[in-house]
Amino acid sequence: MDCRVLSVQSHVVRGYVGNKSASFPLQVLGFEVDTINSVQFSNHTGYEHWKGQVLTADELHVLYEGIKLNNVNQYDYVLTGYTRDDSFLDMVVDIVQELKRANPNLVYVCDPVLGDNGAMYVPENLLPIYRCKVVPAADIITPNQFEAELLTGRNISSEKDAVEVMNLLHSMGPDTVVITSSDLPSPLGDQYLVALGSQKRVTADGTMVTQQIRMDIPRVDAVFVGTGDLFAAMLLAWTHLHPDNLKMACEKTVSVLCHVIKRTITYAKEVAGPNRRPSPAQLELRMVQSKADIEDPAIVVNAVVL
Amino acid sequence: MECRVLSIQSHVVRGYVGNKSASFPLQVLGFEVDSINSVQFSNHTGYSHWKGQVLTADELHVLYEGIKLNNVNHYDYVLTGYTRDTSFLEMVVDIVQELKRANPNLVYVCDPVLGDHGSMYVPQNLHPVYKNKVVPVADIITPNQFEAELLTGKNISTEKDAVEVMDLLHKMGPDTVVITSSDLPPRLGDRFLVSFGSQRILMPDGTRKTQRIRIEVPKVDAVFVGTGDLFAAMLLAWTHHYPTDLKTACEKTFSVMHHVIQRTISYAHGKITAKKFFYICVCMA
Repeated sequence: MDCRVLSVQSHVVRGYVGNKSASFPLQVLGFEVDTINSVQFSNHTGYEHWKGQVLTADELHVLYEGIKLNNVNQYDYVLTGYTRDDSFLDMVVDIVQELKRANPNLVYVCDPVLGDNGAMYVPENLLPIYRCKVVPAADIITPNQFEAELLTGRNISSEKDAVEVMNLLHSMGPDTVVITSSDLPSPLGDQYLVALGSQKRVTADGTMVTQQIRMDIPRVDAVFVGTGDLFAAMLLAWTHLHPDNLKMACEKTVSVLCHVIKRTITYAKEVAGPNRRPSPAQLELRMVQSKADIEDPAIVVNAVVL
Repeated sequence: MECRVLSIQSHVVRGYVGNKSASFPLQVLGFEVDSINSVQFSNHTGYSHWKGQVLTADELHVLYEGIKLNNVNHYDYVLTGYTRDTSFLEMVVDIVQELKRANPNLVYVCDPVLGDHGSMYVPQNLHPVYKNKVVPVADIITPNQFEAELLTGKNISTEKDAVEVMDLLHKMGPDTVVITSSDLPPRLGDRFLVSFGSQRILMPDGTRKTQRIRIEVPKVDAVFVGTGDLFAAMLLAWTHHYPTDLKTACEKTFSVMHHVIQRTISYAHGKITAKKFFYICVCMA
């Protein structure tokens, strides 16, 4: 497999978010991963302290120019996630558009990180950029419910709403949409959360079909950081390997997340000790230890085709 | 295995040098790798063009401070390689010393990158910093012949010289020394190059024993970048698994190198052949 990804995300010295969360799993699966680090921080911002430096839009451009001058600006995928700066995001879109001119088959996988649980945690001025520039250039997006509602201006109170919102998102650009989490009630009970997916594709005879799925995912009582980044990276990998089968791609992706999270919470509880809440440091994803699950995930969640 | 490495090396967007060369292999072997990127460049400096940004000694300190403030400045290994800046290198030594106070068993694996084939390719003022500050705190070093000669002030013309130089390097600090390449004549013929290793071990009865090895590796007719970084990382890994058996650790390390290089040269030749064919077609047209 000769598949090259350009991933533009954060770097943390310690732990697994951004490029640290995405690179190793993709490399384990055989992808060539070129990484532009949008920041370099000591650790993620859920710890008590964090320190480091950010990359400016100009510096991002300079790095891309280096790649371009050597005539190696050819990619099969671009992957982006959490960004805080509007000019940086604009520059990312410019780069994606240029890379798509160089390779029209390029797939842009975008996690449109805006917020969660009803509140934005990036500057408000990023919303119009995602809506008007980023999402239209994207091929696969992984919003949570809040982000899907923000991007479309529509509320999701039922599965029917979710399907309509995913169709609206398709009409904005991406052929593949996964709503990674929602507060819709699961048929399996309140120990589960509901995720949904939708993929538009053209069949052999030229007709357009849409496959929609729902997944009921076991909840875990802890805050994990970097799981969204791992999700987007693994969705990239598994849609690459199963391009016309969103059900299979999502089952593999979600299963990897389940294995990594289970290993992580088990370890965290062990090191924290009985009756103590694990710290952010202890809850860092057990990525390296999950190599076998990343390579060949046992399916532990089934997707229901709607 | 719960083993945490702090690796302070370059980052390139594309390709495999510095931290890009060291991280993935170590992670595949189950090590937790914390990486501080000393620079971020588009690619290594062997290409026609390269662009990017460097980290200052102060910025390095700031990143370390973040780790320290969270009380997670506990490492089993530190790994460093190519550096161009003396104040950066001095900050690295300060960090290593502090980490060793926190964990006296910490092993510092250092590739003392100074130059090759008779000339330096880092600023000259790094030489005294390596000699007087870095090598004395290192536990494992991977100099090439030129670097071993520079650090000790002794020439290597024979195997006996190599052994003496490695003993001198032991005296300076590190208990494990691997001279990663030399121009000494190989016994297997001129399609090979000769490397040496030396490891001082403390025996149960309190005496010191030194194991010395010679390895002859097949030469490959190409210039590879990042192989030294891969070597140091894999030597870290295999000495971790074979702490008192340098022979096995080196056999594993050099074998990894061989496999990666073979795969790389085969792939590259495939590409070159295709390109040559294209040029031939154009000329004929």
